[in-house]
Amino acid sequence: MTETDFWRKSRVAVIGGGSWGSVLAQLAASHVEEVRLWVRDEAQARALNATRVNAKYAPGMTLAPQIRAMSEPERALAIDEGGVGAVIWSLPSSVAREQARAFARFLSGKEVILHATKGVEAGSLKRISEVLSEELPCSRIGVLSGPNLALEVARGEPAAAVVASNFDEVIEAGQQLFSTPQFRVYSSSDMVGVEWAGTLKNILAIAAGALDALGLGWNARAMLMTRGLAEMVRFGVAMGAQTQTFLGLAGMGDLMATCGSSLSRNYRVGAGLARGEPLEQVLAELGATAEGVRTARIVHEFASERGISMPICQGVFQLLSGQADVRQTLAELMGRPQVPEF
Amino acid sequence: MDQTLAPQQPSPSGISSAGSSPSDGLPPADAQGVQPPTSEAHRFGPLAPPLLSSPLERFSEIRPAVLDRVVSRTMEDFSHASVDLLLGEALYQERVRIKRGGDGGFLRGRTKKDLRVLSQVQSGLLRPPGQADRQEHLKSLISHFADEIGGRFDPRVYRFATNILPIFFNWLLNAASLQQFNPSKQSDLIHSQLIINGEIDHLRALTQKGTILLVPTHQSNIDSVLIGFITYLLRLPPFAYGAGLNLFNNPVLSFFMSNLGAYTVDRRKANAVYKQTLKNYSTAILQQGIHSIFFPGGGRSRSGAIESKLKLGLLGTALEAQTENLIAGAEKPHVYVVPMVMSYHFVLEAASLIEDYLADAGKHRFIITDDESFQPTKIARFFWRFFSEHSKITVRIGRPLDVFGNFVDLEGRSVGPNGTTIDPRSWLTTRGVLSRNPQRDREYTHALGSRIVERFHRENTVLSSHLVAFSYFEALREKYPHLDLYRFLRLSLAQRTLPVETFLASADRFRTAVLERARRGELHGCPELADGDLGTASFHGERVLPAWVREGVRQLGQLHDAAVVQVHGDEVFTEDMTLLYYYRNRLAGYGLSIRAGELKGQLQGAHDRNGFLA
Repeated sequence: MTETDFWRKSRVAVIGGGSWGSVLAQLAASHVEEVRLWVRDEAQARALNATRVNAKYAPGMTLAPQIRAMSEPERALAIDEGGVGAVIWSLPSSVAREQARAFARFLSGKEVILHATKGVEAGSLKRISEVLSEELPCSRIGVLSGPNLALEVARGEPAAAVVASNFDEVIEAGQQLFSTPQFRVYSSSDMVGVEWAGTLKNILAIAAGALDALGLGWNARAMLMTRGLAEMVRFGVAMGAQTQTFLGLAGMGDLMATCGSSLSRNYRVGAGLARGEPLEQVLAELGATAEGVRTARIVHEFASERGISMPICQGVFQLLSGQADVRQTLAELMGRPQVPEF
Repeated sequence: MDQTLAPQQPSPSGISSAGSSPSDGLPPADAQGVQPPTSEAHRFGPLAPPLLSSPLERFSEIRPAVLDRVVSRTMEDFSHASVDLLLGEALYQERVRIKRGGDGGFLRGRTKKDLRVLSQVQSGLLRPPGQADRQEHLKSLISHFADEIGGRFDPRVYRFATNILPIFFNWLLNAASLQQFNPSKQSDLIHSQLIINGEIDHLRALTQKGTILLVPTHQSNIDSVLIGFITYLLRLPPFAYGAGLNLFNNPVLSFFMSNLGAYTVDRRKANAVYKQTLKNYSTAILQQGIHSIFFPGGGRSRSGAIESKLKLGLLGTALEAQTENLIAGAEKPHVYVVPMVMSYHFVLEAASLIEDYLADAGKHRFIITDDESFQPTKIARFFWRFFSEHSKITVRIGRPLDVFGNFVDLEGRSVGPNGTTIDPRSWLTTRGVLSRNPQRDREYTHALGSRIVERFHRENTVLSSHLVAFSYFEALREKYPHLDLYRFLRLSLAQRTLPVETFLASADRFRTAVLERARRGELHGCPELADGDLGTASFHGERVLPAWVREGVRQLGQLHDAAVVQVHGDEVFTEDMTLLYYYRNRLAGYGLSIRAGELKGQLQGAHDRNGFLA
C-alpha cells in the first residue's frame, strides 16, 4: 500500500480548535477519510458542526465536510473505532503536559504524533516533543513549524512549512497530510532546532511590535531580526540544535513572517506595550495565548544562568516585567559596548 | 533515610536480594533507588541445579539449522550489494588484521583457518566472473565466519562445570580464609563477599515469559567468569554468551566457554561481512528463545567509567529478533533487555586499561591481549584476595526493559506513561503493517542504547573505595583547578600530597552528595556509606578515619603494586595518579566533579574543559 493510499483510508485527530488547529484540520481533510477535531467544550463543538465555521478563531473558512468536531478525547481518538493514524497536536505549551496526560490512555502507540506548538514547558525547559513522549504511549513524534500565519493559510495564500522528526515515517506523514497546491512541506531531522526556533522567535516578535509602534523604519526592523537571529542561534546551539535550521523556514522564515505582521499575537503584545498600555490589559484585549510572553521569561532566566549572551531577549523580558519602557530598553541596547558581529 | 544505604540485615545466605516482588504485577515504582528493605532473603544453595530449563540445552540439535539460517539470512542482506567490492574490502581488512598479528598460542589455529578461507576467496576473485561464482565465494566466507562465531553447548560440560565451580570456590575459600572444613560456613563466606541485589525475582519470572538479553557493564575479563557464576547462583537457566575471542586464548577457559554456549565475538574483524554474520547469529539464537548475554559497550571500559556509548549494531538484534518473532506469530515473541551493573573494589587489569585510554583516548583502539588478566598468577591472586580480604563484589540486576527501553512488568508487558500498557506490535506497525523498517528500528535501538546507559548509571552501586578515590582526586583538583588532565596526572609526589583534613572534608562533602543522589534514585550507595561517623581528630598523633574511609582506602585497588590512596600520619597521597584516575572515573557521568557544572547537555561520557571525565 502506498503512503497516499494508506492516508486516504485513514482517520486523523486534530487536538485543539484554535486558529492553527482549525487550519491544519482543513489541510489534512483533503488527504484523509475523516478528521476529528477536538475542542475543549461541547457547545463549541456543536457550533462548529452546525455552522461549519470556527467563528472565533478562523472566521471566513468553511470547514471541509470530512471534519467533525467533538469534545470527548475518547471519541476524538476513535478508541472504539480502530483508532486514528495520526494525531495533530495544536495546543498552547502551557497545557501540553496536562492535556497529554488526559489523552494518553486513548492512544495505542501505533499513531504518528505531529505537534505544531511554538513554545516549551516552563520550568523544565522541555520541548513539547519531549513532554509528549514522556506522557503518551507513543514513540513516533514530530513537529511542524514555519512562517504560517493561520489566517493567510486559511485564505489559501501560498506558504511553506517544515516537518522535523527522528523518524522518516513521521516526516512522510507530515508531508502527506499537509501538502496542498498552496502549501509546501519541507523535511528536517533537527527536531531540537525546529522546536527551539519556533519558540524563540516569539520573543523577537514582541520586540518587533514595539519597534513598529514607535514608528521606526526598515533599518531598525532589519537590525532587530538579524541580531535577534544571532541570539536564537546561540541559544539553539547550546540546546543541541544545528545552526542551519535557524536559516530555514522554522527560523529566519518564521521570524520574518512574525516580525512583519500585525496579525501575529506576539507582535500585538509588543505594540500594545509600546503604546504604554499595561501588559494585563494588552493580554485581555488579545483574547488568546501569546506564547512569547511566557517564553521571554523562561529563556531569559536560562540564558543568564548559563552565560549565553542574549541582550535583545533580556530587553524584552525587562519590558514585559515592567522594569523599563520601550525607549529606555532601546537606548540601553544601542548603548552596549561595541562587539564583533560573529 | 535511604533504605538502600541502611546496613543490611544479615541474611542466612548473605546474598541480599532486594525483595521487590510486588503483588500487583507491576514493577516497583522507580521511586528511584529506594529499595524496599530486604523482606525475603533468598537462599541459593550452591549445589542445586538450575530450576528452569532453556532451549540452549538442545542447542547441539539445532545448531546446524541455526547456522544455515544465519548464512542464508546474511546472503539475503547482501543481495543488493556489489559482491566484488564487498569481498575485496573484507579480504583487505582481514589481511591487514592478520599482518598486524598479535595472535599467539591457542588462537593461531583460528588464524590459520582464516587464512585458508581467505586464500580461496582471493584466488576466486582473481578469476573472471564467468569462471568463479562470486555468490559461492561470499557464501563460503559467511559460512566460515558463522562457524567460527557459533558456540556449542554440552549439557555434560555444563553439569560438570556447575558441580566443579562451587567446589573450586569453596576450596579457594577454605584455603584462603584458613577455615576448617565446614560446608555451611563456607557458603556463608561466598555469599557475604558476593552481594547480588536488584530485580532478581523479576528476571527469573521473565525467563519464562520470553527471551532474556542480559547486558552487563564490562570492566574486567573476570566479568565473564563471574557472570556465569552469578547466573548459576541465581539458578537462572544457562545463557549464551557473546564472549570476546581473546578469552579463547586460554585453553581451559576456551574449553568451558565454547561448550557452555559462548559464541565468539572477534572485535578485530571489522569487515562488513563478519559484522552482519555476527548480528544475524545473535538474532537467530534470540529468536530460538535462547537467553543471551553480551557486553553492550563492546570491550572493557578503558577509563574506568560506566559505559556511555554502546555498540548499537549487536544491541539492535534484540528488536530484530522480536519483530521477526511477532511477524512469524511465535508463541513467546518478546525479548527483554536486562541491564546489570557489577561494582569492584579493584580491577585486575586497571593499569593497562587506563594506559590504553590515556594513550589512545578517542582514537583507534587496539585490543589488548596480554594484560594482567591473562597471567594465571594474577588471576589466582585476584581470587585469593577476593576470598581472603573480604573484598566485596556488588552486583545489581537492573529493572528489565523491552526492546524499546520501556520498563516491563512482572507479566512481561511494556509499561507506558500514565498507566498505559504498550503493545510492542503497535510500535512496530508502520502505515498499518507490522513490519521491519530499518530507519525506524535504528531510531528505536538508539533510544534503547541511551536508556541502557541511563539505567547503568542509576543501577550502579557506589562503593566506599570509589568514593575515596573520587574525593581525594577532586580535592587535589581544587588545589590545581587550571591544570589539564595530562599535566595534572604528572604532578610530583610532593605536589599531590594533601593534608588529611582537606581530604576528609572533601570525602564528607561527596558522601553527602552521593547520599542525596541515592535518595533521588540516581545511583545506589553501598551500606557502609550510610554510617555518618566522622572519625576523631588526632589522638596521640594518630588520626582515626571515618569507618567508610578506612574501608575504602584499604579496599581501593588493593591488588596493585602501588598504593592508590595512602594515608600516612596527617597526609594523604597516591603512588599512582593514573590508577587513581581510573578508580575515580567510576563516579564520572554524574556531574559531581568540580568543573561539571560548566557543561551543557548530557554528562555521561562528557569531558570538561580541562579534559577530565565530568
